[in-house]
Amino acid sequence: MIELEGLTKHYPNSKKPAVDDFSLKMAEGETCVFVGPSGCGKTTILRMINRLVEPTSGSIRIDGKDVLSADQDQLRRNMGYVIQQIGLLPHRTVRDNVALVPRLLGWAEERTLKRVQELLGLVGLDPEETGGKYPHQLSGGQMQRVGVARAMAADPPIMLMDEPFGAVDPIVRSRLQDEFLQIQHSFNKTICFVTHDIDEAMKMGDKVAIINEGKLVQHGTPMEVLSQPAGPFVRNLLGEDRGVKLLDLTKCQDLMRRDEGLLQKLQGNPCTIGALQPVKAALEVMLRKDCDTVTVLRGDRAVGALTWQEIKGHIHGLSGEDHEL
Amino acid sequence: MGSAGGFLAYMEGIGEFWRGILTFIMENRQRIMEYTLNHFSLVLTVLALSLALWVSVGILISRNDKTANAVMGISNILFCIPSISLFGLFITIPYLGLGRRSAALALLLYAMMPLVRNVYKGIKSVDRYVLESGRGMGMSAAQILFHIQIPLAWPVVFAGIRVTVVLITGIATVATFIGERNLGRLIHHGLTRSNSQMIVAGALLVSLMALLLDFLMGLVEKKITSPGLRE
Repeated sequence: MIELEGLTKHYPNSKKPAVDDFSLKMAEGETCVFVGPSGCGKTTILRMINRLVEPTSGSIRIDGKDVLSADQDQLRRNMGYVIQQIGLLPHRTVRDNVALVPRLLGWAEERTLKRVQELLGLVGLDPEETGGKYPHQLSGGQMQRVGVARAMAADPPIMLMDEPFGAVDPIVRSRLQDEFLQIQHSFNKTICFVTHDIDEAMKMGDKVAIINEGKLVQHGTPMEVLSQPAGPFVRNLLGEDRGVKLLDLTKCQDLMRRDEGLLQKLQGNPCTIGALQPVKAALEVMLRKDCDTVTVLRGDRAVGALTWQEIKGHIHGLSGEDHEL
Repeated sequence: MGSAGGFLAYMEGIGEFWRGILTFIMENRQRIMEYTLNHFSLVLTVLALSLALWVSVGILISRNDKTANAVMGISNILFCIPSISLFGLFITIPYLGLGRRSAALALLLYAMMPLVRNVYKGIKSVDRYVLESGRGMGMSAAQILFHIQIPLAWPVVFAGIRVTVVLITGIATVATFIGERNLGRLIHHGLTRSNSQMIVAGALLVSLMALLLDFLMGLVEKKITSPGLRE
């Protein structure tokens, strides 16, 4: 568990603190996304956790241990760190880049190389083909993958990620996000993830921390934030399409009606959707095929139905109360 | 016939001139060998000393921009002093005197500008995000210096080393005036005796030595620079 308490960073040449009395708890195995406009202090908070920035006041504890009195280098070797610019060492091969932290930790060479093979495979790179290449021979997406593999090399319980997918094009970004969610699903690391992209925050986060001018504005699950935004700043950040975003976060199986009679009637309905798909995809099917009811499938079997009325009601029930801005 | 015959005569003259140089070199090969070895050993001594000294200085000043500016300012001023006056100045200092010590010290000071500057620039040119990721992964300051900054600065540092080698090979000729028995002596004596073949022979051998050293440095550079830094 990571606990930030009263964290403040005051840079000498500025009047306002970059981070102002910031407190937050992150549970083990949780992905917490720091989101906010540029200059809001989110990166500074992240960099205080691995002490690339020293806080002016406040405390940081990891599993109850005070981070600020720990040995800096040891601390960082036990935290994965990924930045947007990646910062691969250009004079080292992909293999040596990924092996960096294990070697710093003094792992046996055999163990290190085995781990490198495993990780390159995990992030979707062919270890034989890519391992011997140098960073300048890789595409942007491949470099990001190597960056993630390098951060995970020594299997750190905590990962700090600063806009890790910010430098690649939208298609690659979305693929990297999906793959990372998969990886996270099986490794369950505690992740602090910084982004300015609210959609990315909603997609990647178990929890979202919305930050403005160095202060925590709201902290909660994406669903909580979308359905009960704390004030105009959050509402503004979420954008005009909060309802649609909600539909993106809700799975069809969570909203569908299990009504045998209705399913009977819907036999042969051309509008179908997988149970694990977001409701947004069901909406898309409705609009495209011009129907009001979508049959929800698990495998080949119809397990429920989703109607236009239900979708409307869902959005209204969660977000319909605050029309005032 | 006139012009054709004149041209032939001219060509023959040139041929004669170069044959003369070859003959001169062959006839004086023992002396020239001594000069060459002296020249070479002076250059190597200075190169070894200046690498040890100026590379360290370049690394040290990369930690502090203020000091860096001051040090590089000094190196620029030193570089502007005409070599003959610097040699002349050193021989008046006890212990240094005529000969190798004064020569080596003066050349060492000339090597300062290209070396210190290039080491500094090379280290400063390392991408800040590469440094940031190194720090973020828990590399110590020394590990960052030896595993990131120095290897990444190599190409720029090497450019400086190659300039330095050529430079000191050339300036070393002037040390003949303070008693160094090197290839500069051929040029010096050629001048006083109006013997152009002697001058050219000296100049030619000095250039060959500079080119050879530069070529060898190029090989070392290729060997030492990571393939990841070659485009």
